[in-house]
Amino acid sequence: MGAELPRLPGQLPTSTVRYVGQHVNRVEDPALVSGTVQFIDNLSLPGMLHCAILRSPHPHARILKVDARAAEALEGVVAVLTPEDVKRWANAHMTSPPGWGTHCIALDKALFVGEPVAAVAATSRHLAEDALELIDVEYEVLAPIGAAAAALRPDAPVLFKEHGTNVIQQRTYTWGEVDRVFAEADHVVSGSFRWNRCGSNPTETFGCVCQWDLTDNSLLVHGSFQVPSFWGLARSISLNLPANKVKIVGHPHGGAFGGKGGARGTDIAALLSRKSGGLPVKYIEDRMEFLLAGFSQSWDRHYEASLALKSDGTLTGFKVKLLDDQGATTEGYGTISVAKPLAAFTGNYRIGVAQYDMTLVVTNRAPTAPYRGYGPPPHFLVLESLVDKAARQLGKDPAEIRRLNYIRPEQFPYTIPSGNEYDSGNYEVVLDKVLQLADYRALRKEQAAARAEGRLVGVSVVNTVEPGVFDWNAYATVGVPGVGVPEGARVSFDILGNITVVVGFNLQGQGQFTVAAQVVADYFGVDMHAIKVTSAPTDSAPPHFGQGGSRLGVAITGAVLGACRKLEADFRRVAAHVLGGLPPDQIELMDGRLRMKANPAVGMTVAEVVGTMLGRSDLLPPGMEPNPTATSVWTAPNRNLPDDQGRCRSYLTAAYAMHVVMVEVDRDTGATRILKYFIVDDCGTRLNPASVEGQLQGAVAQGVGAALLEEYIYDEEANPRVTTFVDYLLPSIQEVPISQRDFIVTPSPFTPLGAKGCGEGAMHATPAAVICAINDALAPLGVEVTETPATPLRVWNLLQQARAAG
Amino acid sequence: MTIKQRTKVTVNGRLYEREVEPRLTLADFLRHELNLGGTHVGCEHGICGVCTVLINGQAARSCLALAVQADGAEITTIEGLRNRETGQLHEIQQAFVDAHGLQCGFCTPGFIMATLELLRDNPQPSDEQIKEALDGNLCRCTGYESILASVRLAAERLTTRLAAVRVSA
Repeated sequence: MGAELPRLPGQLPTSTVRYVGQHVNRVEDPALVSGTVQFIDNLSLPGMLHCAILRSPHPHARILKVDARAAEALEGVVAVLTPEDVKRWANAHMTSPPGWGTHCIALDKALFVGEPVAAVAATSRHLAEDALELIDVEYEVLAPIGAAAAALRPDAPVLFKEHGTNVIQQRTYTWGEVDRVFAEADHVVSGSFRWNRCGSNPTETFGCVCQWDLTDNSLLVHGSFQVPSFWGLARSISLNLPANKVKIVGHPHGGAFGGKGGARGTDIAALLSRKSGGLPVKYIEDRMEFLLAGFSQSWDRHYEASLALKSDGTLTGFKVKLLDDQGATTEGYGTISVAKPLAAFTGNYRIGVAQYDMTLVVTNRAPTAPYRGYGPPPHFLVLESLVDKAARQLGKDPAEIRRLNYIRPEQFPYTIPSGNEYDSGNYEVVLDKVLQLADYRALRKEQAAARAEGRLVGVSVVNTVEPGVFDWNAYATVGVPGVGVPEGARVSFDILGNITVVVGFNLQGQGQFTVAAQVVADYFGVDMHAIKVTSAPTDSAPPHFGQGGSRLGVAITGAVLGACRKLEADFRRVAAHVLGGLPPDQIELMDGRLRMKANPAVGMTVAEVVGTMLGRSDLLPPGMEPNPTATSVWTAPNRNLPDDQGRCRSYLTAAYAMHVVMVEVDRDTGATRILKYFIVDDCGTRLNPASVEGQLQGAVAQGVGAALLEEYIYDEEANPRVTTFVDYLLPSIQEVPISQRDFIVTPSPFTPLGAKGCGEGAMHATPAAVICAINDALAPLGVEVTETPATPLRVWNLLQQARAAG
Repeated sequence: MTIKQRTKVTVNGRLYEREVEPRLTLADFLRHELNLGGTHVGCEHGICGVCTVLINGQAARSCLALAVQADGAEITTIEGLRNRETGQLHEIQQAFVDAHGLQCGFCTPGFIMATLELLRDNPQPSDEQIKEALDGNLCRCTGYESILASVRLAAERLTTRLAAVRVSA
């Protein structure tokens, strides 16, 4: 790597920073508000066929027969994909850990409701769906595994015979002398928690258009992929193709939050194209398919946890036992969400020892997938609930017990027992700020007055850490290999000085094209709206990952700055030569000019330099390439492999936030209303402040959904009870509180420009903050919510329980 | 094969005449027959509001209407808002840009169409009235704060423009 990247916006080669850190309009938005962006279903190719998928109605069944003759005979049907085709052409899905996946279409057994069993390509979607009704599938229904506990019973059916068990992984990590600390504790508070499945539900579902080239046996895929090259690589494995024969064109897409994988849909459309002689095949997942079997469901967890503490409130140890239902396979990488809490296991606290006992099982529920936060939100619900419980037991204020245990500013960088290193922070300042913003004392008075009237009003103070800038090393424990997550950008100038930035991901909502434009514009002193940022397909983009793991804002900043640095070095050489054969180190870049350090009045504009490079080779230094283009690929520095207890420096940054929430629970209905919501956060340099605020408030909405509304309900036989938005309740403008917010900036010492990962926003804290506030409201009744979502029915049942006891 | 029906609709001021299957939804008709892809589809069962268009001036879910039901109707979609020649954005669109009322932008055309109806009928709505008008549209990205701000900003700008028009008249 060349010269060090600027660590703060003030170190950019400009006398006035015009864009980075400023409130700027996004370059993405004019097209989006005009309805002219090419989302995947807007793509139509000549001769294109449409795919519809037949899905298993049974949670667990042997497939005895698939007869597609009648479907194939229907006019307009071009191909029907059956288990026989898939056996011949495809492999089981890539999974983590390996070996817990099935094929895109069930070969001989269906493992969950919604699993594809056959698929049709026809000249229209209507016809394809008509044809599904003509496919005759004979099932032998098998006993299902309905829930995690059932998977462990000795008489449970074994879903993957080759493993001989339904346990994907059982591990206990012990960090420090946990037994001793718990034995010596003055108090131990414990609790059980149940987090029911919720999930991403972007407004656009997954979609793709696949075209198999039968001449050179290659595959072109247009699609709404969150991480194009990752899914391209996975296709090469499942479809038996060399990776360079799979080209993914990532389209702009309508949100993801982890929900845009599309492994099965892509493989099915690809094989249908192959079977159709190479015609393009479009598959658009509909909402019911997404809810049933898409990348929609996450975090199906049973927790038992304990916190050890001294009588003064000092937290000394934290133990978590988790039973996690991954669903029928691990194709959705839900296992990662069990590993990720290691990156912030003990939250904001100086807890010295910890233990994580995790058991991951397969059942006949749908496979689980990533969702914003990717695992810690339930973990933090457990930790923060126990801290509140400890506070109640010791008669301490929840804010003060937290303050007592915070990692102190001078302790950063701080290594937590589970191995990750937090970069920076000033927790107490943020706590004080949020208490002031909320007027915490007044809230408590208001609460006391409400209680006196018999109302159930509660207040919570919750803090969490957002592990930012993920690294693959964090997931080594669940079978994902590697250290580092390369993200590249190519910055190029044309002969007139116009700038194009090429990246490997496409629009998803977080505004990273804007971030790239801001950084380049400030670097070269140009108007950011004149910069073209564009997404390249996987065969021409620089190495990349894309959106995920609260990482891309930081990573793309690093990549773009690296490319700018390389270009600057070349430009200095050219300018030095043109300005009289000076050594390049006597030239500096400032405000878009390459100028003499000794005499800043003498210089050339960047446009003049690139014009010279591309149009006057006679003026260039001998041997210099006429190439004002540079590619840089960034990955987080100083990462390492985990040790035998899973410990490593994984996530590079540790943004954090303190939430104060006031709720009222209706005594008669059990319904919770959020009265007030306050957040103060610190995610280092805010590259585009409006985007950061949008991430925070947007995640409040999802957190409120997870805490109060959203649930994938199953019956005891693993039959899903949720198939539409009538059953899966997304928060509307009426349910989401508008949070009042403030922030501080503690730049990360480890990232370019000091920014931290902030894309998961408030998702880590909001569910815990809402549930803790409800429990504060219920505390006088002696009952507490330990299961999400806290629906009116669940809370009403607790109120009845309290009434019966009282 | 179902017998197709002749259907005439005026979309954004232009008359279209097509033979369509009775089962074709208005959303699919607009998107795939007329190539007006700005109207998006989020759930196809009438909950998310992503597909909102104006049918005879009224905000409606185009996924729940059939194309044949729209025979003879005047329809406005997101494509009808910005200036066709200059590309200049409508005040509501510009307000969504300026107030960051979108992230992924997939639900945005639906919100903008619902806002168009609201501000036509009630140029200076209260926050409660804005919420009432937009609570049939789901957004998974923004948490609605910036959408509220966008609608307030659009209302303010439209009111100012109308006042200016009145003065100059």
